[in-house]
Amino acid sequence: MKPALESLRPCLDGAVPAVIATSDSDGVPNAAYVSQVHFVDTEHVALSYQFFSKTRANVIAHPYAQVQIIEPVSFRHFRLKLHYVRTETEGPLFEYMKAQLAGIAAKTGMDKVFRLRGADVYRVLDIESVDAHMSPASVTADTLLQLRRALDILGDDGDLAALADRALAALAQGFGIRHALLLMLDETGGALYTLASLGYADSGVGAEVMLGEGTIGVAARERIPIRINYRTGDYSYQAAIRAANTQEPSIRLPILSEPHSQIAVPLCHAGQLVGVLYAESEHDALFNHADEDALVVYGRHLTALMVRPATDGEVPENGLTQAANTAASMMDASAAPLVIRYFALDHSIFVDNDYLIKGVAGSILWTLLNEHVSNGRRDFCNRELRRDPRLPLPDFSDNLETRLILLQRRLAERCPAIALEKTGRGRFRLNVARPLQFAR
Amino acid sequence: MSVVLTAAQATFLQGPVSINVAATGGDGWPLVCRAQACTVARDRKSIHVLLSVRRARDVLDALDSGSVLACVFSRPATHATLQLKSQKHTRVAVTSSQRELALRSVHAFAHELAGLGYGEALAHGVVATMHASDLIAVRFIPEIIFDQTPGPDAGRVLAST
Repeated sequence: MKPALESLRPCLDGAVPAVIATSDSDGVPNAAYVSQVHFVDTEHVALSYQFFSKTRANVIAHPYAQVQIIEPVSFRHFRLKLHYVRTETEGPLFEYMKAQLAGIAAKTGMDKVFRLRGADVYRVLDIESVDAHMSPASVTADTLLQLRRALDILGDDGDLAALADRALAALAQGFGIRHALLLMLDETGGALYTLASLGYADSGVGAEVMLGEGTIGVAARERIPIRINYRTGDYSYQAAIRAANTQEPSIRLPILSEPHSQIAVPLCHAGQLVGVLYAESEHDALFNHADEDALVVYGRHLTALMVRPATDGEVPENGLTQAANTAASMMDASAAPLVIRYFALDHSIFVDNDYLIKGVAGSILWTLLNEHVSNGRRDFCNRELRRDPRLPLPDFSDNLETRLILLQRRLAERCPAIALEKTGRGRFRLNVARPLQFAR
Repeated sequence: MSVVLTAAQATFLQGPVSINVAATGGDGWPLVCRAQACTVARDRKSIHVLLSVRRARDVLDALDSGSVLACVFSRPATHATLQLKSQKHTRVAVTSSQRELALRSVHAFAHELAGLGYGEALAHGVVATMHASDLIAVRFIPEIIFDQTPGPDAGRVLAST
């Protein structure tokens, strides 16, 4: 029985180079090594087009080829009969192959040489198992079981903050992932911000990644999972990593300096990008095709839970007013004042000259602090914030809650004298332990 | 006229290299198979590649039918790659010394891969997969040699008749 193409995916990760045979119009054969044979779907593969070579000329003139691929570990050979279909020079397939090729090139010391010009897509017409008598490489993990375990841990109850934390904890317990980030798309649609992290010295909550930047940004822009199996200098986050200075209005992205494996899975709902789930490791090739499948399924499940309609509209507003009036103060009036500086241009807030937050979260904090100073209010509800014209909130419903989580976590890390305390469904309290002084 | 390999090229071809032979079948399909080893004649004008009959059946049939032979050699440690092409080739029996050489070559290639971080398991896989009792030799006289090392010079003709 001929093997199915999907069963050969371990051969299609660039671990062992493939060989392609082509012929020119006179029937003269040509053999060449191929860095990357990429699984496109059950009927197609894509080969990396890096140089204008004899292979390239032959395929354009005579669109047939045979490719010999090798299973890592077992060294079993398979031969694919291919018919050239097209070349893609941009878009999701091209970007995925470009990212994977960067890892392959770095691993093989060819990072100055390999450059993807195009993804040559071929239809697979036949598959031959050359070493059918040999045993396949042993399977090391039951990925479906790992996924089930991760989903059990993730659960489906609790608020968004708890869900975000469990989302990453489940990756650790389910898949053995030690370093991960959960990022959400911001209101501009041009950047992602970190909502939760796993396994880093600094949480990096609030750290931003621009769309198109690094593995995370490319996965978000192209809306495809991207997996890189080897350490590469490409796909770095220079701007985000550089921002270690607390005086700068940005937060350092807490990723590994030299990850050997990376995977970024876009989180989408109703055709819209919501965020990105990212995991990385110090080890080569930690994530295989099956892991990618599992994390895509996990990401879809997580997204469905995260975008559930907010349940914060249940509380009557007069009840809020009463709560505000009866809240006890925790203020230590004798303490030195916190100097709050706000910049309307990007809604950034500095506390005692240290950068705290910007964007929607910054705008929310500025609104809350002004309400507190002007009217003595401490208790608020999500619903009134949604209606507040001072806040640059977009329409989609989960944004406010994720911003409140971001703000709450950022305050806990950087400014514990100001805290947001959840007091009920869709309600929270602003606790201010020191006097506030607004500076311009 | 024939191409004479340089001494360096002859050494390279007989080193720990990956060897693959291509031909074009009677129906026009390109075909490829892995070879076990190669030997270069003392005068460096002809080459024997050693193939498993089972693994190379289609390629051998195509060569018997008159296809040009293309043979690519690549050393994993350096990516140095040469491709040789020939219209003058013939099947010949394998000598006992060539059988021993094939075994040594497979082990040397496996050792090379293990040293590059592919792991001992892959090295064992190489030896297990490439162990062949049905070896045959194809003797050919190269007519053109290409440098196929990845980079700007890939495809450059190094020698031709």
